[in-house]
Amino acid sequence: MAKYGMVIDLLKCAGCGACGVGCKTQNNTDDAHDGQTFNWADFCEKIEGKYPNAKYTMYPTLCNHCSDSPCIGACPVSPTAMYKSENGITLHNEERCIGCGMCQQACPYSSNMDDDKAARYSVISMNSHDAEPHARYRNPNELIKGITTSGAEIAKKAGRTPPHRTMHAHPDYNSVRAKEKAEKCIFCEHLVASGQNPYCTQVCPSQARVFGDLDDKNSAVSKLLAENRNSVVVLADNKGKTAKPGSGTQPNVFYIRSFSARK
Amino acid sequence: MKIKRRDFLKVSAAAGAVAVIGGPSLNAFAQTTAPKKKAMGEAAGEWIPSTCQGCTTWCPIEIFVQEGRAVKVRGNQLSKANGGYVCVRGHLLLQQTYDPDRIKTPMKRTNPQKGRGIDPKFVPISWDEAVDTIADKLIELRRNNETHKYLLMRGRYSDHNTILYDNLTKMLGSPNNISHSSICAEVEKMGRFFTEGFWGYSDYDLDKMKYLITWACDPLSSNRQIPNAVTKFQRLLSEGTVVAIDPRMSNTAAKAHEWMPIKPATDGALGVAMAHVILTEGLWNKEFVGDFKDGKNKFRKGREVKEEDFNEKHSYGLVKWWNLELKDKDAAWAAKETGLDRNQIERVARGFAKAAPNCAIWFGPNMQPRGTYSALAMHALNGLVGATDNEGGLVTGMSAPSSSYPKFDAYQDDLAKAGAKNKKIDQRGYKTFPNLASGRPGSGVSANNVANAILAEDPYDIKVAIGYFVNYNFSTMETGRWDKAMAKVPFFVHVVPMVSEMTQFADIVLPSALHHTEDWAIVRSKANLYGHISIQQPVVERMFDVRGAETEFVWLLAEKLRDKGFPNVYDWLHNEYKDPETGKKPTDGLEFAIYATKIRSQKAWDPAENKDYKGDKPSGWEDFRKKGVVNSPRFEFRKKWGTPEEGNFPTATKKFEFYSETLKKALTEHAEKHNTTVDDILTVTNYEARGEKAFVPHYETQLRHGSRTEYPFDLVDMKSRLNREGRSANLTWYHAFKKCDPGDVNFDDVVQINPADAQKLGIKDGDMVKVTSVVGSLTVRARLWEGIRPGTAAKCYGQGHWAYGSVGTKDYAKFEPRGANFNEIMVDDYDRLSGSSARNGGFTGVKITKV
Repeated sequence: MAKYGMVIDLLKCAGCGACGVGCKTQNNTDDAHDGQTFNWADFCEKIEGKYPNAKYTMYPTLCNHCSDSPCIGACPVSPTAMYKSENGITLHNEERCIGCGMCQQACPYSSNMDDDKAARYSVISMNSHDAEPHARYRNPNELIKGITTSGAEIAKKAGRTPPHRTMHAHPDYNSVRAKEKAEKCIFCEHLVASGQNPYCTQVCPSQARVFGDLDDKNSAVSKLLAENRNSVVVLADNKGKTAKPGSGTQPNVFYIRSFSARK
Repeated sequence: MKIKRRDFLKVSAAAGAVAVIGGPSLNAFAQTTAPKKKAMGEAAGEWIPSTCQGCTTWCPIEIFVQEGRAVKVRGNQLSKANGGYVCVRGHLLLQQTYDPDRIKTPMKRTNPQKGRGIDPKFVPISWDEAVDTIADKLIELRRNNETHKYLLMRGRYSDHNTILYDNLTKMLGSPNNISHSSICAEVEKMGRFFTEGFWGYSDYDLDKMKYLITWACDPLSSNRQIPNAVTKFQRLLSEGTVVAIDPRMSNTAAKAHEWMPIKPATDGALGVAMAHVILTEGLWNKEFVGDFKDGKNKFRKGREVKEEDFNEKHSYGLVKWWNLELKDKDAAWAAKETGLDRNQIERVARGFAKAAPNCAIWFGPNMQPRGTYSALAMHALNGLVGATDNEGGLVTGMSAPSSSYPKFDAYQDDLAKAGAKNKKIDQRGYKTFPNLASGRPGSGVSANNVANAILAEDPYDIKVAIGYFVNYNFSTMETGRWDKAMAKVPFFVHVVPMVSEMTQFADIVLPSALHHTEDWAIVRSKANLYGHISIQQPVVERMFDVRGAETEFVWLLAEKLRDKGFPNVYDWLHNEYKDPETGKKPTDGLEFAIYATKIRSQKAWDPAENKDYKGDKPSGWEDFRKKGVVNSPRFEFRKKWGTPEEGNFPTATKKFEFYSETLKKALTEHAEKHNTTVDDILTVTNYEARGEKAFVPHYETQLRHGSRTEYPFDLVDMKSRLNREGRSANLTWYHAFKKCDPGDVNFDDVVQINPADAQKLGIKDGDMVKVTSVVGSLTVRARLWEGIRPGTAAKCYGQGHWAYGSVGTKDYAKFEPRGANFNEIMVDDYDRLSGSSARNGGFTGVKITKV
């Protein structure tokens, strides 16, 4: 069985945002609310040094699909809602999830952004306990009465909520997750199963992301890691700290080379 | 009963174990079996081609449609301009299509009072009533023989703008088709036109380039070929050299090998100093420019050179340029002017020239007073190293085939012909507005001056105006003038998908179809050495009764005008816009839109017309619709060079002009028209050069509004890579990824200040600050950021809407803006040689105080 991971070439990455928004169109994630970002693909920006020698780095982020996933250990249900698939993907079973938030608390890359001001992103987001997701497309208010449409109306006319919802199926999760559930990047397993790359990888205009089997020495990801042994890092938290691969929770998303070409 | 998440966390944290679990809401725990095997995969759908116009790239795209809904976007897989990728803007268009605040019906205002903050009290009306009212107003203009008092304002457009913007305006008898181009990037074109006769935007051979200087632009986020730039930069970053010249750390500057944080508006100084270095060190391209007859370099600092000593090849006037401007201006001098490091200036000039001709200066809009001369200095360097029109350099680029629209002349009556001959409303060609587009005095537009002209009724007043996909009350500098001007226009029609600031002044509002998902049109552009013609077609069913602005609206108006006794417009459309396949005449607006689309693209898809074409050749209309794009053949280099004996550049001398005879001719023509001298024209248009210097690329110092003592900061206007022009602020994804603009933050609008400056002012990161210019003040959050030159303050365009949707506006009912639109405090000024509005170069001084 494979052990899926991703290598992101920072020199190729333009920090353009296409992966972040592309993911939202593929996975129909909600708008941010209550300290939850719902950006399965996001960015962690870092600036080091002072003008004019300041160096800027943009790390595109996603779930690290750690080999030692604390989100799984923290999941209180049995069997756990958060679990490791045979292919290495840290999957999440929506049905078993009770929305307790223990996974978010345990994950070093996740935060409630309202509580953790230093956080730049959160891998795990928690759906509201009270309201259905995509509140904007459930809101019947018209900006100008009788003249402009409303979120609820345009969703009804289009036929889905959200109207641009990409329909896909997976045994563990729905294309829009229900309220009271945790959710996060699952490497687009519904696409991977049919031989496609995760959507963030598909839409990256600089082809900075390479997805593949870390256990296969001949895979593109394994080769990139071998070739870039000196520069490869993983993220150590969701505030821009980096570490050597294999440390901490053993993330399986790796960053090679440098975002800036400056020495 | 439910256990709230926070309660649960408290309990479990206290117990430190999962053993506390239990209770009524936890029945999920009962499930112990493995998940049921359900199907896995994406539901079926279809990729349908269209074109994104979220910026000026005009990318061929495909939209994934499931159940009749637009759900995903990618670059057209056949496109050679973008390699099948879109930038972030492409993905954003889904939220634009499904914007909860879109207009679903025509409406009219019931409150006759007009002004910022005044509720128009719109009420819904039918298309019939709306267009009937518009037709009445136009007939009235005809009756009173004042058809020239009709004004059409164009914002974003397709090729079909020929119908509404150009032809219809003339058919109605007005000269006033006003485009927004001069608030966009027209000065950039001055740089190439008055050196090599090309009025247009550049393309680049990024695959073969070794050294790239991006100057006053940020190709990774804007400037006309974003996906291509994002894709191709990596090779340059790995194997070549990238230098970014910009007072702020743009996306390109963040990644570049060298960042040159130049003092705003000193670009001309850097340009001429780089030329000085290249010449004194003998690094110019001998093949293109030529050499000294005796082979010995006589370009030495401070020394004049004799013209007869130099044998010039494909260029003209190099020695004149040296003697008039370059000879004393070395890197040490430029370092003082620009605030840059002398060694860096020399290093970059050398590196650039040594990579010649596989190098380019990719220069930006230069929209600043006196900007023409900085654009000229930038492009003159491309000439000096022989990079223009050359492999690995910058080129004019390709275009794709398109057919002409049917002529309207036979249907234009005498009244209309006479009316259309009036002076244009924007005062182009006045003594202070030379507007030398394509070298023709008085031909370029001055869109932002229209507000002044309307208010002064000079040359006359405007009685009926139509604007489509345009929002001058947000997008222009010193915006408040437009609030006054539009309040003065007695009848204004806004044809738009969304209510915006300009809509607040409308008497009639018509909901237009969105170009990328609902309308029929043709768009052409270029990138990556290929030109393309690309389709826009409905990919989803229209959810409301919206119509295509450039076609269907014109049709409806034509019908109404016919019914009121002016059949010419209808006859023109009905008789001339026949389906090229069947010869059938259109019977309604939608048919007209489709036939117009087929007519415009016929050369690209009709086998009878494309059989000898060297680019893509679809087998017919249906095949073109399915593919969506036709790519041209690849650009061929050096066609413009000609021979040293006979140049092929379309300039006055047929050569690449370092001394612009072309500019001299245009300026002289303008001066003669006003019975004066070129020096007098330069005086009244606020340039510093006098005499011969006006015809060579040279350094003009900053023209600045506000004294340095009172307004110490140079305001730097920046553009967001998430801006679908000014239309992204109501998209939640825009706010969720705003930090992708380096220095900016999510869910807020900020002014970027260097921490060293902030410390002196007692400003901390996140403080609210008041930013004041000579024309006004705005309050906005401060972001302390090491990526900005001290003494400058950068503010991104795009937010600060006071009437644009429920997200884009903080409180629409109160017209309370979300963020701050710095256009409001930027001064109404121009690069008058081009007629372009100033926006760049820190020409507006500001002071910043803690609130």
